[in-house]
Amino acid sequence: MSLIEIEKHEVEEERHEPVRIRGLPFFPHFLLREVVVMCLIAGSLILMASLYPAGLLQPADPFNTPTPIYPEWYFLYVFGFLKFWTWNIGPIEAKVIGVTLPMVLWYGLLFLVPFIDRNPSSDIRKRKFAVAMGVIALLGILYFTYFSIVHH
Amino acid sequence: MKLEDKIFKWFDDRFKLKELLTPIIKHPAPEYAVTNPLYCLGGIAFLCFLILVGTGVFLAMYYKPTPLEAYKSVENIMIAVPMGSLIRSLHHWAANTMIAAVMLHMMRIYFMGAYKKPRELNWVVGVTLLLITTTFGFSGYLLPWDQLSFWATKIGTGIAGSIPIIGEYISLILMGGTDIGAETMTRFFAIHVMILPITIAILLLMHFAMVRIQGISGRL
Ligand code: HEM
Repeated sequence: MSLIEIEKHEVEEERHEPVRIRGLPFFPHFLLREVVVMCLIAGSLILMASLYPAGLLQPADPFNTPTPIYPEWYFLYVFGFLKFWTWNIGPIEAKVIGVTLPMVLWYGLLFLVPFIDRNPSSDIRKRKFAVAMGVIALLGILYFTYFSIVHH
Repeated sequence: MKLEDKIFKWFDDRFKLKELLTPIIKHPAPEYAVTNPLYCLGGIAFLCFLILVGTGVFLAMYYKPTPLEAYKSVENIMIAVPMGSLIRSLHHWAANTMIAAVMLHMMRIYFMGAYKKPRELNWVVGVTLLLITTTFGFSGYLLPWDQLSFWATKIGTGIAGSIPIIGEYISLILMGGTDIGAETMTRFFAIHVMILPITIAILLLMHFAMVRIQGISGRL
């Protein structure tokens, strides 16, 4: 029994020896792909800009609040979380938590990712915890974005 | 000898171009980075940045950063300036695409674990780049001085202002006072066209230098 297990282990270790990676020269292979992609993106941007020009609403009026007020789409999740969180914790006001969590805490965590995740593997199957956290964070951002649109 | 060879030789004799360029040109890119489109996202963000600089300089030539004139000058760009509408719309689309590309790029780095040793600091520089990119969006949103710019900025500065301890100072520095007005406008303009571009240029140099020194990380 144990003999077989040792053998299996050895076989497994062999598989994880550094794999030889095939490389292509930067020029022309890598650059060619890059140039093709860049042309496609630049073309699409010009197309979108012509079909859907940037808008301009009424001039700003400090005495007339419009509804609804939307920020840029990438800030919606902050608005959403602020609306979602209505609970005071002890002396800390709900509003302070609603602002601090999605901005200060979220960016603080992002900065620290490489120092929190000490798992050296970059094999996605061996990073179940990190991947789960990533998926949860992603779903959270999407949910609060959705929340801010529904409850504007 | 062809003309282009002659020109190249002229410069090569003076600046040792071959010595400088060969390692760049011959530097191998791993095959998976050439065939997998996810590795394009950083480059796409950079392309958007270049387009934003180009169109942004154009817009800055016609834009007037005061509450009385801002709206009119943007209207003028949209109606009267030749190609103005296209350039401003391109600025708008490149900005949104850049944010999306940066976020997707970050997701690729995260899920592939490309931030691990030795690339920890490049991740930290990256998160700062994300912060700067969104701050670009925030400061640019006010500049047309229309209803949405004004009121979204009012809420946005209010949110920044309620961060404990530092919030008060952030909102005072951003607005140049306690309400959104001419001070706010010139500050947002200075942030949008001076402070952030210089900061992002320095950080992008660091980012690319690190990618160059450390190489692209291994397979998934
Ligand atoms: C202005 C925004 C940014 C630009 C223009 C940019 C550009 C690039 C480029 C061109 C690469 C080469 C590989 C690739 O494209 O996938 C790269 C790699 C990298 N980026 Fe960014 N990036 C930006 C923001 C970020 C952010 C927000 C993060 C993470 C928080 C990040 C982290 C990294 C890391 C760790 C690498 C090395 C990846 C590897 O070795 O596989 N970058 N970046």
